[in-house]
Amino acid sequence: MAPIIQIKNVHKRFGSVHALRGVSLDVERGEVVVIIGPSGSGKSTLLRCINRLEEFNEGSIVVDGIPLDTAENINAVRTEVGMVFQQFNLFPHLSVMDNITLAQRIIRKRDKAEADEIAIQLLNKVGIPEKAKALPGQLSGGQQQRVAIARALAMNPKIMLFDEPTSALDPEMIQEVLDVMMNLAQEGMTMVVVSHEMGFARAAANRAILMDSGQIVEEAPPNVLFTNPTQERTKEFLSRVL
Amino acid sequence: MDLQEKKKTETAPASAGADSKGYFDPWWWLVFAVIGMIILLITTRPDPFMRILLFVRDGIGVTIQTTIISFFLVLIVGLIAALGRISRSRILSGIATVYVEIVRGIPLLVQLLFWYFAFPSVIQGIGSALNIEALKNYLANPVGMAILGITFCYAAYMSEIYRAGIQSISKGQMEAARSLGMSYVQAMRYVILPQAVRVILPPVGNEFISILKDSSLVSVVAVADMTRRGREFMAANFIPVETWSMIALLYLVMTLLAARLVTFIERKSRLER
Repeated sequence: MAPIIQIKNVHKRFGSVHALRGVSLDVERGEVVVIIGPSGSGKSTLLRCINRLEEFNEGSIVVDGIPLDTAENINAVRTEVGMVFQQFNLFPHLSVMDNITLAQRIIRKRDKAEADEIAIQLLNKVGIPEKAKALPGQLSGGQQQRVAIARALAMNPKIMLFDEPTSALDPEMIQEVLDVMMNLAQEGMTMVVVSHEMGFARAAANRAILMDSGQIVEEAPPNVLFTNPTQERTKEFLSRVL
Repeated sequence: MDLQEKKKTETAPASAGADSKGYFDPWWWLVFAVIGMIILLITTRPDPFMRILLFVRDGIGVTIQTTIISFFLVLIVGLIAALGRISRSRILSGIATVYVEIVRGIPLLVQLLFWYFAFPSVIQGIGSALNIEALKNYLANPVGMAILGITFCYAAYMSEIYRAGIQSISKGQMEAARSLGMSYVQAMRYVILPQAVRVILPPVGNEFISILKDSSLVSVVAVADMTRRGREFMAANFIPVETWSMIALLYLVMTLLAARLVTFIERKSRLER
């Protein structure tokens, strides 16, 4: 079967900044890919191109057989691709429950009872069923991020994108979010994760990728990349992070 | 979420006076004082004060009606103009920007005079040129033109309030909504606007009070509002002090009550979070 994500020679410019310089990457179904790299290397930009939150200037991206070109196709892709943000981006005016059911009801056209049932299942899955009626502002960062994951999963996505999901969290809350992600990976979800959590990468990822200056520098299984990198740039970066 | 915290602290100082309710709330004292004053005047000196009140009574209704209809139209037209201004389409944002800049540069009084006196002539002129009977005989309805004039003007200011409110919501909210597959319109409707409304409630309330006061300008375009009725009473009786004191007190009661209502709605929407 064709790779579920096919990125071919994508370029992205922000004014004079050349953020992505011809990135090509295929992700197979069920694969977990972790992208690392210094800030400004284009890793988040690449991730945001996959569901077209960021437009790209050249190249092509095909997700599950749908090319990202027309507005219709972009929306179709977005309903298949869940995204989790560094800043959670829960809707602060809605309860946890409504956060998870809103898109189900208006996009998936599920009725309230069905959407609620799915939301409760997912809250159980991420371990905070008791917070269904709370507002996002009443939750800790780790809880908010788990709700954000549940919100994305409620759309039954085929792919999940994680944009530095633990970077805005206090250290003691990181693990609870990583545990949820680990479970997802074990269930066979296709995941693209921008994160420097090496422990997660080693345990869950099939592939780790180092990006720098808008290009993919090196890609290998995480154990190989972290312990025996071939590129000088990778060694240099890892020596600073690890 | 820090966004929420920020908003709470931002709105807190402005309404501190209203929140310290209880035995001393200067607002209520003022309302009672003004109403008491009116009652005192019409009971102790029914002539001329009761006569004035009875004479301008229908004008009070016209003022309230003009204000409320204009306000709701302003809310709708202002939102459309705001969405135009933040639109990525150059044409839409261009049209909206030109509209706002033109309106903000012309006094409301001049705009009202234009709508009532100049606009019908323009329509009649077009009617004659194209030989369309209906347009040739077009006559302006005073109240209609007054509401049109106020709406056209205030919607421009309101659009700026909406715009500031929408832009105060973090970009991540729109991205999260879009990433779930919502269209731009759906994201606006379910995610951005419900949050923006809470932010813009205080300035929108102020706009309502401004419209209430500026509705007195429609008296120049043959609308028999409170101010015009006051002028008519004065023309017949020539007692300016009593007449304009009474009119001023009536406006004051209305604006004070409106301000109270705004504070009440604000507080309620804050407790809902």
